[in-house]
Amino acid sequence: MDVSSSAGAALRLELPVAAERRERALVREAQRGSAAAFEQLFRSHWPRAYRAALLVVGDAAAAEDIAQESFLAAVRALDRFDRRRPFGPWLHRIVVNRSIDWARARSLRREHFSDYAEPASAEREPGTHARALAQALTELQPEQRAVIVLRYLLDYTPGEIARLLDLPRGTVNSRLRRGLDRLQEAMRA
Amino acid sequence: MKRLFDGMPADAEAEERAWAVVREAYERREPARRWRSPVRPALVLAAVAAAAVSAALSPPGRAVVNAVRRSIGIEGAQPALFRLPAAGRLLVSGEGGTWVVAADGSTRRLGAFAQASWSPHALYVVASSRNELAAVEPATGQVHWQLARRAIRFPRWGGTRTDTRIAYLTTSRLHVVAGDGTRDVDAEGLPAAARVAPVWQPATGDRHVLAYVDTRGRVTVLDPDLGNVRWVSAGYDGARALAWSPDGGTLALAARTKVVLFSAATGRARTVRVEGVRQLAFAPDGRLALVRGNGVLVLDGARVRTLFVAPSRLAGVAWSPDGRWLLSSLPAADQWVFVQTRGTRRVLAVSHIRRQFGGEPALDGWAPSA
Repeated sequence: MDVSSSAGAALRLELPVAAERRERALVREAQRGSAAAFEQLFRSHWPRAYRAALLVVGDAAAAEDIAQESFLAAVRALDRFDRRRPFGPWLHRIVVNRSIDWARARSLRREHFSDYAEPASAEREPGTHARALAQALTELQPEQRAVIVLRYLLDYTPGEIARLLDLPRGTVNSRLRRGLDRLQEAMRA
Repeated sequence: MKRLFDGMPADAEAEERAWAVVREAYERREPARRWRSPVRPALVLAAVAAAAVSAALSPPGRAVVNAVRRSIGIEGAQPALFRLPAAGRLLVSGEGGTWVVAADGSTRRLGAFAQASWSPHALYVVASSRNELAAVEPATGQVHWQLARRAIRFPRWGGTRTDTRIAYLTTSRLHVVAGDGTRDVDAEGLPAAARVAPVWQPATGDRHVLAYVDTRGRVTVLDPDLGNVRWVSAGYDGARALAWSPDGGTLALAARTKVVLFSAATGRARTVRVEGVRQLAFAPDGRLALVRGNGVLVLDGARVRTLFVAPSRLAGVAWSPDGRWLLSSLPAADQWVFVQTRGTRRVLAVSHIRRQFGGEPALDGWAPSA
């Protein structure tokens, strides 16, 4: 028996459960008034929330606003939050829905969609591929961007995305397919 | 792709700016004082409900229930609906079917429908049961046409005397069908509809203009014949009801914390901060009635005033065709309440509504006499 691979498998199984327990404990502590616990929740979820918003709206300032507003919504609803449910999907649902709304509103105002705006104080320079991918994403419709971000950045399954966005699963699959096809075309160009 | 996404920058300064704002909001909030098991209150509630039901079934219990009803209702209520306080015909629907109430208090049951609304000139009624939409003659109950669709809700009829359309929802899809029951179209491609009745703009020409709320709380105003979307609003939390002003110039939306008045032409929004409005309806003279909790407010121009406060929660609202009376219902007291809105303030209450209509009816509209 390969001990290392067996231990690795066990670790992979155990980690999400442990992380969930830890997160539940943090939510409980935050509900009871622990600012430290709430800060841990914020720090662990901010990067993905911000990136998800950035990839859907393509505008760093708007992404910051959307992610911040989503956390403020989380503060307002914290006492009512059901700790049996995971915090991440709930937050991501808010982030992605707000991002889609923002992107749609912007397209309704007939403004040109801005290019992917790299933040001035980026921690590290994104690679050429990452930049091209982000640029290509801006060519998609907001709904397609959202499902791609939920699938490939936030790792949700199509079924989970369908539940998060109140969409039929077939719609999620078709948006993923069409979005990926368009991304491929855009990145080849 | 995952690796590329994860490699994208997360702006550290943005994180710190956001954390400063979020921390402040967190520190200002009132923390939950005590954790309570969700099971225990549920058990207590179930026990109380069981005790209340068994008590209510006994004769002394029935007397207590009646006394409680009196305490949450209007005193001196009439024991039955002998007549309406103003001219016109009232349309109501519920467990006991759809009914038309004439001004003299006589009632006619149109059928086993759950929801209904008047045609634009009150010549017909469109009514729906779970899987059926029907156009019905209000005087005779004669069904002119039927349409079988799954899970029909909120049938609404709009248009001119000669050319009408009916909008309705099936689950979250918006449908539009011609007034003669033909050309039923699923508005595919539009965002899914929320559980809010769509509303037709009062006819101002030969165009049919419809407003509906989608699941993100945005109001869409469209011309379904041409498939043109005229405008889409921002999203509003807790969108609950829509109504057009009689001149078709303003569309009102009741949301969780505000009432939004949109210009029909441009979609430009004016917000009135009123929390918890669940239903709204325009009077023929343009006043807007807002039902929230136990009270009815009236928005007249820029001024909001309280018209009436009941002893328990109100449900539904309908203006009399002359705009002098407003009807709402007190489900907990099994009463209807008519409030005179012009001249001397008078309140007339009627009891035993469920007995008269075979269940609790919703107020679908008060139309002029035929």
